[in-house]
Amino acid sequence: MKLVRALVLGLYALVALVPLVWMVLTSFKTRADTIALTPRVVPVLAAETEPASLAFPATLEAYGALGTVQAGAQQSFWEHLGHSVVIGLLSTLASVVLGTLAAYGFSRFRIAGAKDWLFFVLSTRFMPPLAVVVPILMLYRRFELEGTHLGLVLLYTVFNLSLSVWLMKGFLDEIPRAYEEAAEIDGYSRLDAFVKVILPEARTGMSVTAVFCLISAWNEYGFALTLNHSGAITVPAYFAGLQGNIEGMPWPQVAAGALLFVVPIVLFTVAIRKHLLRGMTFGTIKQ
Amino acid sequence: MPHGRSERLKYAFVGPALVLLLAFNLFPLLYNVVLGFTNAELVGGAWSWRGTANYGRLFEDGQFAAAVRRTALFVGSAVTIELALGFTVALALKERFRGRDVLLTALLVPMMLSPAVIGLFWNLILDGNYGILNQALAALGVDAPPQWTTDRDWKFASVLLVDVWMWTPFMLLISLAALNSIPGYLYEAAEVDRASRWTVFRRITLPLCGPLLGLAALLRTTDALKQFDLVMAITGPNDERTQTVSTLLYQVLFRDGKVGLGSAYACLVLVLVMALATVFTRYLDGLERRNA
Repeated sequence: MKLVRALVLGLYALVALVPLVWMVLTSFKTRADTIALTPRVVPVLAAETEPASLAFPATLEAYGALGTVQAGAQQSFWEHLGHSVVIGLLSTLASVVLGTLAAYGFSRFRIAGAKDWLFFVLSTRFMPPLAVVVPILMLYRRFELEGTHLGLVLLYTVFNLSLSVWLMKGFLDEIPRAYEEAAEIDGYSRLDAFVKVILPEARTGMSVTAVFCLISAWNEYGFALTLNHSGAITVPAYFAGLQGNIEGMPWPQVAAGALLFVVPIVLFTVAIRKHLLRGMTFGTIKQ
Repeated sequence: MPHGRSERLKYAFVGPALVLLLAFNLFPLLYNVVLGFTNAELVGGAWSWRGTANYGRLFEDGQFAAAVRRTALFVGSAVTIELALGFTVALALKERFRGRDVLLTALLVPMMLSPAVIGLFWNLILDGNYGILNQALAALGVDAPPQWTTDRDWKFASVLLVDVWMWTPFMLLISLAALNSIPGYLYEAAEVDRASRWTVFRRITLPLCGPLLGLAALLRTTDALKQFDLVMAITGPNDERTQTVSTLLYQVLFRDGKVGLGSAYACLVLVLVMALATVFTRYLDGLERRNA
């Protein structure tokens, strides 16, 4: 049984992790080595390797080339990364603030139809972006938000509210009401108790929520592609735009850029690994 | 505290989020209904009423129905494979061993990544000639490995493969939680009764994991139904073998620029999504009641 277990795990880990390892290796290759007929697996610090060998000379060329504008794009990778950072951070901030307020309302006050409202909030997450984007695009054209940072910030803020309200409600429900009661006895107003007593208690919850909002804004593609096909183009839409480029895909640059793009996400995943389950299930499973 | 102030305060808390959500969901919904009866185009302003002509065409040409069937097949296969595989790996990861937590965290990484970016990179892995997958298969002695992303018969499987790679971790995560929630004394009691491994699995493990696995399957279903990013990255939006509902919408709305027809499609999609959302929330409600 132990052997079967090790076999299952080993095989699965191999298949799951090889693509990521391959991305790292690819980022250190020249384009010729990425499309060689013998797989180039072993990076070596030599200027040249045998044509038919498994080794390839490791180079940082691809990382250097991230500053240049690729065929089929209007800006360099770094500029697109900048758009992703601005849009991701601002929308995360707004989502967490609005989501925490709403979650506190639902957690502590009697609200007519609270359950129905909460399910409505959750169900907005199921809307396929492509089924709602044209009316939004027309609205954005009218208010000159197409292709702007603000347009996507606004949209991602709303899109992430479902996540933020549900996650924060779970975290706030776990803070005993006695905290506010004690604060009110000490003469705090309800609002003061929320700001000075509850918010500090909810710090972990807010950080976890922020990470999940940031990741989903960071990775989003459907809205990014259709609302910002010029102007503030985020990284996923930028990479997709390189496809069909007549010079062929610049694989080393794609790998290097993709790697830099996913590293923050991997770090965040590690940082909040204890809360992954909760975040991925909108707080419906608590551990 | 005076009653009136508390009343106003609670609306100040929930109001902003709910107003934004209503605005960004109801407006597109209603506007889609209007646009669905017109011949509006993406560029150029003038449009006129077309009555139900868009819906007539939608039911006639079969493209929409085909995309719905293909999406259903995709969701069904993806969720089934991911659940079975994730659960199997969870069984193997259940016992503690050295390095288990590090391995688990590493295995969970794919689901956190951007499908559009990672899907694009998978094209390099899946390439028929210089892709590492076929080079590995050739080394293992497979004679003529498939041209994954270009062969008509393998395109769908390629998208499915990448989806399984990305989302099996999600099923693994929830399966582990489900397995860990089973109290140890049940297994001890089964041992006392000398129940076989298979009986224990069938009578204790599976039924007690059931509700959480159901939740996992529903969450994954609602997400897979939107499948767009991977199809765009691997075959593009207009491939007859891989066109899902979302990529069909993209093709009609943005490549063909036919907003009227596309909005009629979108209306039907939204009806389907709302029906599914209802099923999902009922399930969640039932789950909460049972735990309460």
